[in-house]
Amino acid sequence: RFRFCGDLDCPDWVLAEISTLARVSSVKMKLLCVQVIKDLLDEGIDYDKVSKLTSDAKFESGDIKASIGVLSFILSSAAKHDVDGESLSSELQQLGLPKEHTTGLCKSYEDKHNALQEKLRESSLRLGHLEAVNWRVDYTLSSSELKKVNEPTVQLRLQAQNPETDSTETTVVSITADKFRVLLTELKQAQTIMNSLQ
Amino acid sequence: MLLVLSDDHKDHLCFLSEVDHAVVSEFGRIAVEFLKKGSNSKIYEGAARKLNVSSETVQHGVEGLMYLLTESSKLMISEVDFQDSVLVLGFSEELNKLLLQLYLENRKDMRQILSNLSPNLPHYHNLEWRLDVQLASRALRHQVKPTVTLKLHLEDDGMRRAHVLQTDPATLQHLIQEMERALADLKSNHCRRILRNIK
Repeated sequence: RFRFCGDLDCPDWVLAEISTLARVSSVKMKLLCVQVIKDLLDEGIDYDKVSKLTSDAKFESGDIKASIGVLSFILSSAAKHDVDGESLSSELQQLGLPKEHTTGLCKSYEDKHNALQEKLRESSLRLGHLEAVNWRVDYTLSSSELKKVNEPTVQLRLQAQNPETDSTETTVVSITADKFRVLLTELKQAQTIMNSLQ
Repeated sequence: MLLVLSDDHKDHLCFLSEVDHAVVSEFGRIAVEFLKKGSNSKIYEGAARKLNVSSETVQHGVEGLMYLLTESSKLMISEVDFQDSVLVLGFSEELNKLLLQLYLENRKDMRQILSNLSPNLPHYHNLEWRLDVQLASRALRHQVKPTVTLKLHLEDDGMRRAHVLQTDPATLQHLIQEMERALADLKSNHCRRILRNIK
């Protein structure tokens, strides 16, 4: 029923913790949002600041964790489902978050809306990242089989991430001129298709 | 049901009747600490020096207490049975009451620790997913093929492994239906009857 929950019901724990959030003053709540957004963007969260902000409302460690959890959920879920600030504001007020708190939260959200979505896009599932490509062109003069070979070859070193273990694996291939020409043509065709989609 | 203590065990616990009750309570506390966090031999040596006995005696005493606690918690024996089992050691009335109190206070924690020791299958840790549409391949252009790629993270005994799976939407639907059917089975009369009887 709520857009920021992906058109599903709001989880019970979120409802419960919204009342915990209401115990902080709205100014402190906006500063809390800034900290939580920094955490979501992997910029590091300053737990000392958070405990100072919540000390007035006499939050215990369980309450602090709960309020960080519920703010993380609201902000990341809203960014995930691309909810605009006003809809988020009206939905949070429906759930019982006081108006001043909601305004503060939504202002922080709108400021960092794009950055949050970028971060979420980056952390989406990707299998086997290609991390680096190195190449070298060699010219074979002669070999144990044939005296005059005179053939160019390309050596490609691909460093990719193993999808199951997340560790980097190196693959080295050497390609003859003809095969390489075919590879290049096919890849250029794929690139054309990709460009036509953007 | 009664706890049957081996002769070695009885010998080890005999040491407890020779010391103050305060010392026995302290040993009880140490025994619980060791069960939760692992044993520390320095404590045995310190206690042995204070009581003027060998550190081996102290170690046997504490380990005897630990074993008594774990066996009684494992079998979830009642107060009466515990008292009868301990009677066999010939301790004073007060010492028996102390041991009983130690057992009752720590039973729940003991049982929780013991429940973590049973063998485990790999269990769910996290699921990442992605919805893609295949538009073209080297062999065929102008396709529209939706696929769902899943990365299932499992945890087994502290080790994490990821499994990469791919499926089309129809199979995914089928998967979801089967799992919902399994969940719904919990609410069937048969399951309810069994759960009621276990509780």
